[in-house]
Amino acid sequence: MSTREEKNHKQHQAQPEIDEVTNDQILEGHEFDGIRELDNQLPPWLKYLFYASIVFAASYLTLVFVFEDARVIQAKEYQKEMAAYLQEEEIAEEEEKAAPVARTQEEIMASGEATFSKICSVCHGKFGEGLVGPNFTDKYWIHGGSREDMHQTIVTGVIEKGMISYKNLLSERQIQDVITYIKSLQGTNPPNQKAPEGELYDPEPEAGTQS
Amino acid sequence: MELQKFTYDNRITRDFAMATIVWGVVGMLVGLLVALQIFIPEMNFSLEYTTFGRTRPVHTNAVIFAFVGNAIFTAVYYSMPRLLKTSMYSKLLGKIHFWGWQLIIVAAAITLLAGYTSGKEYAELEWPLDVAITLIWVIFGINMFGTILQRRVSHIYVAIWFYIATWVTVAVLHIVNSIEIPYSLMKSYPVYAGIQDALVQWWYGHNAVAFFLTTPFLGLMYYFVPKAANRPIYSYKLSIVHFWSLIFIYIWAGPHHLLYSSLPDWLQALGTTFSIMLIAPSWGGMINGLLTLRGAWDKVRKDPVLKMFVVGITAYGMATFEGPMMSLKTVNAISHFTDWTVGHVHIGALGWNGMLTFGMLYWLIPRLYNTKLYSVKLANAHFWISTLAIIFYAVPLYIGGITQALMWKEFTPEGYLAYPNFLETVTQLIPMYATRAFGGSLYLIGMLMLVFNVIKTAKQGSLVKVEEVEAPALHALPAVKTKSESWHGFLERKPIRFLIFATIAILIGGVFEIIPTYLINSNVPIISSVQPYTPLELQGRDIYVKEGCYNCHSQMIRPFRSETERYGEYSKAGEFIYDHPFQFGSKRTGPDLAREGVKTGPIYKPNAWHYNHFIDPQKMNEGSIMPKYPWLAEKDIDLKSTAPKIRAMKRLGVPYPDNYEHQANDDLLKQAEEIAQNLRDAGIETESTKEIIALIAYIQRLGTDIMKPQVEEEEE
Repeated sequence: MSTREEKNHKQHQAQPEIDEVTNDQILEGHEFDGIRELDNQLPPWLKYLFYASIVFAASYLTLVFVFEDARVIQAKEYQKEMAAYLQEEEIAEEEEKAAPVARTQEEIMASGEATFSKICSVCHGKFGEGLVGPNFTDKYWIHGGSREDMHQTIVTGVIEKGMISYKNLLSERQIQDVITYIKSLQGTNPPNQKAPEGELYDPEPEAGTQS
Repeated sequence: MELQKFTYDNRITRDFAMATIVWGVVGMLVGLLVALQIFIPEMNFSLEYTTFGRTRPVHTNAVIFAFVGNAIFTAVYYSMPRLLKTSMYSKLLGKIHFWGWQLIIVAAAITLLAGYTSGKEYAELEWPLDVAITLIWVIFGINMFGTILQRRVSHIYVAIWFYIATWVTVAVLHIVNSIEIPYSLMKSYPVYAGIQDALVQWWYGHNAVAFFLTTPFLGLMYYFVPKAANRPIYSYKLSIVHFWSLIFIYIWAGPHHLLYSSLPDWLQALGTTFSIMLIAPSWGGMINGLLTLRGAWDKVRKDPVLKMFVVGITAYGMATFEGPMMSLKTVNAISHFTDWTVGHVHIGALGWNGMLTFGMLYWLIPRLYNTKLYSVKLANAHFWISTLAIIFYAVPLYIGGITQALMWKEFTPEGYLAYPNFLETVTQLIPMYATRAFGGSLYLIGMLMLVFNVIKTAKQGSLVKVEEVEAPALHALPAVKTKSESWHGFLERKPIRFLIFATIAILIGGVFEIIPTYLINSNVPIISSVQPYTPLELQGRDIYVKEGCYNCHSQMIRPFRSETERYGEYSKAGEFIYDHPFQFGSKRTGPDLAREGVKTGPIYKPNAWHYNHFIDPQKMNEGSIMPKYPWLAEKDIDLKSTAPKIRAMKRLGVPYPDNYEHQANDDLLKQAEEIAQNLRDAGIETESTKEIIALIAYIQRLGTDIMKPQVEEEEE
């Protein structure tokens, strides 16, 4: 056996060897531990795919580096997203003002319960029995038990105790609904209650619910 | 012409093959454990050594570096002498390589479970092991190039091109990503911080996939596929084009792991575009593999080896199309931080790496033992169960990933998050996690079938320790390119020149991306209110790293309304300049923590909540899948380490005052006592010296600096 050059030379005049199964030309001199190689070209579609990906890359990089296009610069993308949302919100608010929707007590309670179980229960317990946060089922309230006080607590939070402000997380309606739901927990007497904290609040003066 | 006698040593190949199998079983077992832990918190056993944050890196390191690593060495030590018609350069170096690598694996498993981690994914091992890996890798390199240089074949075959690229690139990646300053016998801080650390890490991480899981396996494919099929390689020209384009382009694509992060836009754009340009070069490999089987498809139907190769190569084609698609920002906005990514990598790992390794072993073991495979039927069953396993593994993760991303992003008509409680988006996935674990078990069962088959095969044959062969000597080649040879043909008989060219090709991308990130200030705009961590927070941060919190929690809020509503203001590059290492994370099994400490933010929790939550997450969140961390309340903060840590940080340029290391523990204890007092006020009795106090301090610091006024002020 010999190097590829010599083989090339030796076979110079001879017909190139053909692979019987595929009729493709076998590369002369390319044999490594019995592995041979065919002299096929690249599949054209693969080449075009490669060229297309290069064109895509060049265009995309131009958008980023030259035009600093809002579709590819993420700070701009974010501004656009937020602007669109704020506009939408304004329209929705006006609509709500123009025609308030009447809701049944069941709907209000269901909405309140949904918010409670998603958010409040993390600290106040699944049944309002109190966990890190205080018990909702007794008559004692640290920050006041009236609707107005509770609203205030939810909107501003009690940050030193770890209650965040939900001003931007809950809509006014969701806040009203969850207050209604929390009020309904009074006296339910669930297991594992946290000891009463704060001052006794007499619910007498506040009879009905509104929203 | 006179023939020279020499031998092929099969013992070293056998050793690596057996190590592949042993570590494969171990890695997959741990994989199954983590797959169970992710939806059954009890499977963490409330023990620090068996908790997900530590076991998951053991799984990834075991399957990548132990299972796949040994498979690579099996292929190299078997194919290279045969392709070059020579013995391996040195038996001794081979032995050192083998035992060194296995010892590193054992040490890796022990240290990772013990909590020694650098906190960088797939590069978790600490500095002494980083040094050991470098030494063993160099020994492997000497053995490899020594063999190439004593060859009896004029030209090097394409499989060896891939081995060369693998060797040099892994060396460069490992060394650059592991530059760190030790502050103790087992612990260190990386020299890079924040965005720069993230860029270097994902340049490494992405190219570990490229040059540890891909290029060596392409080399393996180029040897074992034509051997097993007894067919010629489809196209030599395609080999050349896809080899060079693949290694050149791959190295640029790392930033696609950081899309929509606070990495500068220009880097993200390079990540996206180079990923798209990778499709054709990757598919070049797939085509050359599959079309080599033309004329052998009748054999594919019967031979489990070829079947496994076909599924493996097809999985490679799928993963290398999916990867670039996930690098498009629109797709990445959904796929990133979800199980979609986990599904994607397992198509590559179980399909490409697993199937190719199994195929190679079924072909190789009977030859090493001079016998027939004990049971072709069992190998066929292994093929089918593995293929099924991949489907059961990946499909639920795709469904789960997309489901969760859509839940994160959904708003109510009133404009509020539809799922404000992160946990809801997690409990939704539990059936998917269970199905995935089932898929993983199938794959492990297949692996055990292989073990049985290999043992039986080895027992019925006997090891051919050495093969005596002969070949003519290689006589001197012309030093310069001859007229009749092509430019590339010339390069193929000049391996050192080949190595240099390959090195240049793989360096360009990294140099273009990493160096400007250091030199151009606008890449990390300074935020003056960002200050170094207090000693207590620094200790807490190291506990965060040690417990592997980054395996499930990200610290990178992306600029989407759905994320700023949920977590607060999106993350800025300037916030992370003192983060050695960065802890952006890559998966949100739990919520993002980048603004966990912001009191006016949407996710703030009081100290008492964190205390109770660390000890028993299920008490605070019924249905939480987070493991319990009771030992944090029992173990004391390592006060002796404070001074060396501060000193190391100062060497890295973190601006602590002069001699601060002497005062650091006083400040630490003062801050700890404040937190402990706050906990006592909330009815929790605890000592201020416990690890949990430090971790709470760190958690409450997260994301808060940016909210302070933009003036220089003293940190307490």
